[in-house]
Amino acid sequence: MAQTAPPPQTELQAQQSVPFWRDTRILGIFAQIGFIILVIFILRILASNFAANTDRLGEAQFICRDGTFSYLCAYDFMSTEAGFDISDTILDYENTDPYWSAFYNGILNSLRVGLLAVVLTTFLGLFVGIVRLSSNWLVNKIALAYIELFRNTPLLLQLFFIYFTIILALPPIKEALQPLGLPIFLANRGLSIPSPQFTSSAAVWIAFLVMAVIQFQVVWILLGRQEEKTGRPSNRWGWGIIAFLLVAGIGWFVAGAVANTQGMLTLKANRIQELDDLERVIMRRADLNFLEDVDTLPAEEIAAAAFKLCVLRDSASETNLSRQLRAKGIPYTVRRFDRVDQVTEAYVAEECEAFAASKSVLAAERSTLENPNSHSIVNVREQPIVWSIPVLEGLNIAGGARLRPEFTALLIGLTLFYGASLAEIVRAGIQSVTKGQNEAARALGLNESQRLRLVVMPQALKVIIPPLIGVYLSLMKDTSLGIAIGFPDMYAVTFTTINQSGRALPGMILMMLVYLTISLVFSLILNWYNERSKMVER
Amino acid sequence: MAAITGSLTERIQGTIGRRFNWQYFLQDNITGSWLLTVWVIILALATMALTIRQMGTFPTETTLILVIWSIGILLAVAEGLHIRHSRVGRWLKTNLLSSVSNTLLTLFIMLVLYALAYSIWQWAVVNATFDENAVAPKDRNPDGATWGVIAGAWDLLMVGRFPREALWRVRTVVIFFILLGGLSLIVNKIGLWARSKLVRSIFTVFWLLSPVVVYILLAGVPAEGAFVSISSLIIGEIVVLGTFAFLWWQKVIKFSWLSLIGWTLFWPVAYIAWRAIGRSGLFPPINVSLWGGLMLTLIIATSVILLSFPMGMVLALGRRSEVRGIPWWIIWPVAIIATIWGLSTSTSEILAAPRNTFEKIIAFWPLLIIVFAYILQRTFQGNVIAATSAAVIEFVRGVPLITLLFMGIIMAPFFMPEGITLENIWAVILGYAFFSAAYMAELIRGGLQALPRGQFDAADAIGLNSLQKMRFIILPQALRIVIPGIVGQFIGSFKSSSLVAIVGLAELLGVVTLIVSNPAWLGLRQELFVFIGIIYFTGSFIMSWYSRRMETQLGVGQR
Repeated sequence: MAQTAPPPQTELQAQQSVPFWRDTRILGIFAQIGFIILVIFILRILASNFAANTDRLGEAQFICRDGTFSYLCAYDFMSTEAGFDISDTILDYENTDPYWSAFYNGILNSLRVGLLAVVLTTFLGLFVGIVRLSSNWLVNKIALAYIELFRNTPLLLQLFFIYFTIILALPPIKEALQPLGLPIFLANRGLSIPSPQFTSSAAVWIAFLVMAVIQFQVVWILLGRQEEKTGRPSNRWGWGIIAFLLVAGIGWFVAGAVANTQGMLTLKANRIQELDDLERVIMRRADLNFLEDVDTLPAEEIAAAAFKLCVLRDSASETNLSRQLRAKGIPYTVRRFDRVDQVTEAYVAEECEAFAASKSVLAAERSTLENPNSHSIVNVREQPIVWSIPVLEGLNIAGGARLRPEFTALLIGLTLFYGASLAEIVRAGIQSVTKGQNEAARALGLNESQRLRLVVMPQALKVIIPPLIGVYLSLMKDTSLGIAIGFPDMYAVTFTTINQSGRALPGMILMMLVYLTISLVFSLILNWYNERSKMVER
Repeated sequence: MAAITGSLTERIQGTIGRRFNWQYFLQDNITGSWLLTVWVIILALATMALTIRQMGTFPTETTLILVIWSIGILLAVAEGLHIRHSRVGRWLKTNLLSSVSNTLLTLFIMLVLYALAYSIWQWAVVNATFDENAVAPKDRNPDGATWGVIAGAWDLLMVGRFPREALWRVRTVVIFFILLGGLSLIVNKIGLWARSKLVRSIFTVFWLLSPVVVYILLAGVPAEGAFVSISSLIIGEIVVLGTFAFLWWQKVIKFSWLSLIGWTLFWPVAYIAWRAIGRSGLFPPINVSLWGGLMLTLIIATSVILLSFPMGMVLALGRRSEVRGIPWWIIWPVAIIATIWGLSTSTSEILAAPRNTFEKIIAFWPLLIIVFAYILQRTFQGNVIAATSAAVIEFVRGVPLITLLFMGIIMAPFFMPEGITLENIWAVILGYAFFSAAYMAELIRGGLQALPRGQFDAADAIGLNSLQKMRFIILPQALRIVIPGIVGQFIGSFKSSSLVAIVGLAELLGVVTLIVSNPAWLGLRQELFVFIGIIYFTGSFIMSWYSRRMETQLGVGQR
């Protein structure tokens, strides 16, 4: 049993040391250095081409305000006047605002349509995904048809179809559609829906809401402890909601009673000390004994006797006051102005009898009048939230919120397209839960909705969330397609900016940086959520 | 009378027996929970309202639907009570009429579907006009489709503004591909592909030449310039022979005199043939910006996939590279020195002039160097190659596609060497290929990760070098895994090519704007969109179906 002696030490060492020109570690470092040199070389070529072409093509890109040429002045143009209009903005924007303001509005528009589409897509996708697995054959196949139709056609085609053939084909405002008699108007200039407006007493009410939420939590916890002690179910959902509603309701009335900010400026000679006095005024004008008879008069007399009101456009005071006047049956006409001084002018010129606004504004305006003491500010009660209901007035719709056709088309298009993708993901997630789970749930006696809610969805969610992140990111990026139908999202605004100012390179870089930031932020948030809910494997 | 009804109820009760319990039936279907009761009531009210409305418009059809529905209920009930078994009854009971709410829902859906089908039929067939020449606004029927626009604008839809006298070239391309594809399928089916190396080589050569053939036919070959330029000949020859030598040195190709002759002759022959074709004037050049319609869609989709494959491969391999990274004691000092230098020169220069807030923040860009150094060290262990690949992939995936297309069009003139202009379409294809390459890189990386690590180790153990390992062991297996993903990418490119309409190219969707601007076809968008939608739908559907079939054939996930 002779053992082979190990090779002499020197031979082993000779076998183990690799010459440096073959050593992969050193070669790796050389490869990286070579790579960096290559990248720098390519960048040098591109930069020299760029400099050469800039002289020819794009010198204007880097001209400073004082006319000198410097790469550092790339973004100086952003402070100059924009000169183009944006049709759909949340903030006020004039075409004399700088490019910065236009760009910022573009970002807000993109975020507005993107986040709303994300919420709607989630609901639609979950719904259709669950319905896709329904036992009713018709419902199942309809969901399948929807998914296949919307996933096999391009998004842009769907957007064009929805915009041109559905939204623009809606009737003009005069004949706007009103589905089911609700105060919602569908017309080719937009969709008008009722919108809530917050008055100044809303702050008080929100404080009460916070207290109501705390109340709910308190009831929840207390009843939960009682459940654990006695083992019997206490109806804590019901009691919690009752407590919440109680406090919120009290808050509503308190806010309305305590707040004292809304008022109406009118001549003292009218002898209106409170809103009920208006009834007397109208009755006297129209020569009636009872206010209800006002409807029997012909239209011109009603218009002649009507109370003339001036307000700022889209103000909560208008909605507040008009609601109360309507409730009392007092006829009124409204004139809307954009600025406070315009309203005061009209009031002084006696084109209207009253100016409704918040008391602070009225006090300030009253002090500018010639004879402040001949005008009084009448107290007007208010609610924390007043609903502005759209009403058809001649050729226009007054009140409510107007969703423009481009915004609606983009929202609907994105929701339907990504809802279909999400539905497939949800279906795959639900089907990934092993069959044994379903059988066990049924064996325990859970009904179908409990099975879905308590057993299937928690496990399915872990499989659904990673592809869901991809869907959300694609959705946020595809808001850029708004340019094809005229929605002024960030891409469209940047495009116009580049055309207007000629600064292509700085504009493009800025826009791509913003998109990258949005993608990065979304991705980080969703990945954090994914990490939290990942399947714990043993 | 009483005897008859008495015996009838006895017969019914006898048949049903104890198989039916009213209490359980009510509990399962209606009163089980508050939600269920509310849902059944709402459904019942809605169905009744809809039935009454539909009765007003289509009395006969609605009655027919109601009769069918009732028969279905009887069959399902008979099945459920085990009175009479039938296949139809069983299917109805499980799928359509399994509970009260499902029954009502089925009726509701049947009525809605009928109304929908009826209005679509009215628009598309009954009220529609099909005459190609009667499409002017005065000849149209406002309640129906004007399908004449499809026939009239057929050329525009298929090839855009391609010169009409050169349409024979497009037809040649179509015939070429039908022949090549058909012959390949036949050869595959009869087994000749597997058996004969000659057949394989011939067909591979033809498939590899097809992009050149398409280019010659559709874009033409310019005739000007010297017939043969010696410098291009020599440079091309050096490149080709150099590649051959490199592949032989890496032992990926076997040396044989035949292959050496083939490689040497390849470039001169191809070059001279190109020049000869150009000189002969058989295929005069066509302005590439005239391409449009379905032809442009297919060209963009195929070019993007073909181009993005090598780019994606490079990005994937770079992302996966495991070379030893640059150590921290080099990265951090360099980063800190660069930051300090940047802060002292650039930042102070920017802040010297009056700036608004945003520009003041941007002035501190050198601090980003520290951030990048940290990410390089922490996530990539100092590996610059992997970091750059990952950065490129994330950048390209984080911006919308049209920004990349737009950037391609705007930036191309800035970065091209003097004198070379890039047509819009090539810039768009390049930008789109970049975008697709990022997604392709992730697919290929997934494929490479799915391979068992033992394959890599075994290849190293038998002494294969990197190129041999890739060519003979890794790529054949990885590609089999990746091919369904690639087909999915192709389907996505086919659909997303519609986005180039936004940057001004008149492919299938963009040509609609062109068509509708013709006064005769004003406002006929609906018909065009429906037609184009059908084309996209059929194409995508068939390709997805084929991809699913190919997945099972290739045995993905089973081997």
